[in-house]
Amino acid sequence: MDCHVLVIGSGGAGVRAAIEASGYGETILVSKTIAGKGGCTTMAEGGYNAVLREQDSCEAHFDDTMKGGAYLNDPALVRLLVDEAPERMEDLLRWGAVFDVTDCCEVAQRPFGGQRFPRTCYAGDRTGHEMMLTLMDRLAATGTEVLQEVTIVHLFKDENTVAGALGIDRHGELLAIRSDRTVLATGGGTRIYDISTNSSSGTGDGYALGFRAGADLVDMEQVQFHPTGAVYPYDARGRLVTEAVRGEGGILKNALNERFMVKYDPERMELSTRDVVSRSIATEILEGRGTPHGGVYLDVTHLPRAQIESKLPVMLEQFLKFGVDIREEPMEVAPTAHHIMGGLRINSDGETTVPCLHACGEVAGGVHGANRLGGNALADTQVFGKRAGEAAGKAKKRVKRIHWEEIAAQEKRLSAFYDGRVLPTTVARSLQTAMWDGAGIFRTAKELAKTLDVINHLSSLPLKAAGYSNLEECCIVQNMLITASLVVKGALLRKESRGAHVRRDVTQAWDAQGSPYGHTWQSLKVSGIETEVKA
Amino acid sequence: MKEMSVRVYRFDPKEDQKPHFQTYLVQVNEGARVLNVLHAIHDEHDPTLSYRYCCGSGQCGSCAVRVNGEPVLACMEEAREGMTIEPLDLPVQKDLMVDMEPYLSEISALVPKDDFTMPTPAVVEDIKPFRSCIECLACVSACPALKVISFAGPTAMREDLRLALDPRDSEDRVTEAVKSGLFTCTSCQACWKVCPKNIQIPGKAIEKLRSLANKKGLTLPRHQEVAQLVRDTGRSVTRLGPTFLEQIDEVLEPYGPVRATVGFFVGCMYNQRLPQAAFDAMEVLRRNGIRVIIPKDQVCCGSPLLRTGQWDILDTLKRKNIDAFVSRNIDTVLTMCAGCGSTLKNDYKTPYRVIDINELLTKYVIEPPARLPLKATYHDPCHLLRGQGIRDQPRELITQVVDLVEMPAICCGSGGGVRSGIPEEAAALAERRREEIEKTGADIVVSSCPFCEFHIMEHTDRPVKNITTLLLDGYREKDRKKAEKPA
Repeated sequence: MDCHVLVIGSGGAGVRAAIEASGYGETILVSKTIAGKGGCTTMAEGGYNAVLREQDSCEAHFDDTMKGGAYLNDPALVRLLVDEAPERMEDLLRWGAVFDVTDCCEVAQRPFGGQRFPRTCYAGDRTGHEMMLTLMDRLAATGTEVLQEVTIVHLFKDENTVAGALGIDRHGELLAIRSDRTVLATGGGTRIYDISTNSSSGTGDGYALGFRAGADLVDMEQVQFHPTGAVYPYDARGRLVTEAVRGEGGILKNALNERFMVKYDPERMELSTRDVVSRSIATEILEGRGTPHGGVYLDVTHLPRAQIESKLPVMLEQFLKFGVDIREEPMEVAPTAHHIMGGLRINSDGETTVPCLHACGEVAGGVHGANRLGGNALADTQVFGKRAGEAAGKAKKRVKRIHWEEIAAQEKRLSAFYDGRVLPTTVARSLQTAMWDGAGIFRTAKELAKTLDVINHLSSLPLKAAGYSNLEECCIVQNMLITASLVVKGALLRKESRGAHVRRDVTQAWDAQGSPYGHTWQSLKVSGIETEVKA
Repeated sequence: MKEMSVRVYRFDPKEDQKPHFQTYLVQVNEGARVLNVLHAIHDEHDPTLSYRYCCGSGQCGSCAVRVNGEPVLACMEEAREGMTIEPLDLPVQKDLMVDMEPYLSEISALVPKDDFTMPTPAVVEDIKPFRSCIECLACVSACPALKVISFAGPTAMREDLRLALDPRDSEDRVTEAVKSGLFTCTSCQACWKVCPKNIQIPGKAIEKLRSLANKKGLTLPRHQEVAQLVRDTGRSVTRLGPTFLEQIDEVLEPYGPVRATVGFFVGCMYNQRLPQAAFDAMEVLRRNGIRVIIPKDQVCCGSPLLRTGQWDILDTLKRKNIDAFVSRNIDTVLTMCAGCGSTLKNDYKTPYRVIDINELLTKYVIEPPARLPLKATYHDPCHLLRGQGIRDQPRELITQVVDLVEMPAICCGSGGGVRSGIPEEAAALAERRREEIEKTGADIVVSSCPFCEFHIMEHTDRPVKNITTLLLDGYREKDRKKAEKPA
């Protein structure tokens, strides 16, 4: 197959990129799931940050984002995010998104953590789902060809450029796609942790594909642990409990009924930034003040029932399914791996360091620094999805070749899985446990090194496909292993605590703004950490 | 951890001639969902098992399957020992994966107007419930109409209404909905009852769309005739002979001591078409100490108009029916028509309590009838089972008289104005009922709704009886035996 722009990924960023790119040339969107259902956008609950009111300002949004990100963010990217988020919100509204509105017919906004103005737009607690429905409607009106349930396993290289991708469909058949420009919009990868909010597609595919194609990745150690994930029943552990619960007025208490945030951030309390709240909850639990199920209480019982029913309907429904009526009793929550702030290094057009390869959404790095503010990810998908799609679309057509040796090598890679010995799910489970234990909220060089040993060992095992439907699973587990190793290596490179990344074995004399360090970076050939001399 | 035995549908079109079921013994955690059972099978027993899932938290609609016949989200439904897991009733791709694309692509998309209008808070509140749909297609799997006639399906209708209400959309969604099968819905409520987001598609979307169609003059001619009949006669069907209300006394005293007094709402079908069933019901009530008051000024409940979107005279009908009983100081109104009962309970704000005859008779523990040497099957009326949540009471009554063989609870095709509006669809659905009835090997069919009874009668060679007629048969047999016995 041949196209001008190939978009890999069908979440908010990928679909937004395809909508934009399709205006310039033939566009193919490849989705590992049924498009619109996979990814994390559709699960995003709380909201979308955009400056819409006169009392608010883009400067304030910029400052909040930089401060929340422990000043590791790329200022130029943050500038674009805050400036263009309102325009991209207008696109969504024009295309039919049904956001909550005020009595004056303005998009309603709620307070979210780390922001001085309530600027988080929302559709109840199913904001991302509303956006996905809208984007899928719009996508259908473009000429984009959607390949459903095709997993990309390799990016083709022609000289130093990316020239397309190789996919595998649900029949186990290979599919080679040649493209002028390729956009990675594969989302995040916190499925590498035992406890995670991510959907089944959050396996870090784009980090691995980009890395193997030679791209630079920055700040991969920066993994956000969302403060509030479900803790029971066991199989529901990690399920996201939206920040909107706290935005609507939910309070956190430990087993001693103490509103413990007063100890950690008396000013912002429950609406502190996610890194702070997660560490506070983790500390309460580690020091023995946790609930019987190993969490803390998140309580909304003091709120009017109607507010819970209309603003948090998904939360209400999910907890009811597990026997908890949040109108009557508190939820039990604990931190859960949620978002990877790091990712492929991009410029304002979403161009990576490999020619003809773009990235947008969670797979890209630099926008959120060391800690993402709640509500900035959905905005990120739209702002940078559009930018990447537009730049890729506007790029010139070119002569590009797929080299048969590459296909042959991939065929060999895949057929080897039929002779493997270890099931991919077995490897994935070992990896998830090791990452949670050794590269979680609190880290030390010793634990990280041990985790890296586990990853290396797991990577050496011959993965087994029992049938054609398991081939993609093997490739995906390899992606998880690469992503995990990038996270751990990044964490070893950054010898400081910054944002979501906490090194317990390092004592430092600086705060985030005074840090001598910039991004960590990793590529196939080199890796390191930027050191800046502060003026 | 606990152990659980489950049956799973397996089919790989690449390898298998036909589908089969495989039983697995799996270890799962306390509180495990159906999805965790599938993971356990995939991880520990057979990695080739194919099933879809993504979010694992009821938000993406990828993982719907049927558990013991009922569509559910695998990620939210608690796993049960001995359950059978099957794909949705859609074309199977492999194992539990079905082809969702054709249905998803039928769902309309908003086409923006050139000039943008922000929806008002009131419009947003109206639209929001419909936007919570996760397009899992549980409703499509459960919809009986889709199996016999071309129809875009419940969730497509849901979105059509949303678009019709949205000021930003530029297309005529009402006409579009009519073309894609708006009038094929029998209002059986199966879609609503299986919806994981509890979206009331028939009542809130389809009937509303039909009312918008009515304003555009798109109501089916046969439905318009029914509405005219109601306007002219107060009844939604024509009479075949003397009606029930013309023949019955206004107050019926029981044979023994009075255990309760109720007002009786007969409904058009039992009044005009099947009066004998109503007489039989009165006899059963009298034998069981129920005093019945029957206001003669009652009229059609309005259900046929509600379901077909002809809402203009509803308020008049409602007022008449409320006054008829209130003026006689009646605090409990008895219905024996499932459709009337569902309408009075769900679409009226009545100052009196409404009770279905199956509820009443089981509540007051009836005089035991004699057993008859017959095998019966029971057809669940949609407006009784799903409209009123009445499942066990009819079975409790039937099994006092005869042996009961179950069949799946599926719409017979008589509801929602389909019998009059699209007779070929109604006939096709009844034909499927006939097949199910055959399979049970039952001698008689029992039901508790005049629309179902009348419709099924035309499509089966077995006698179709109202539940109270069956009870009366039991009483008569009892009397006969008693008379035979030498004193």
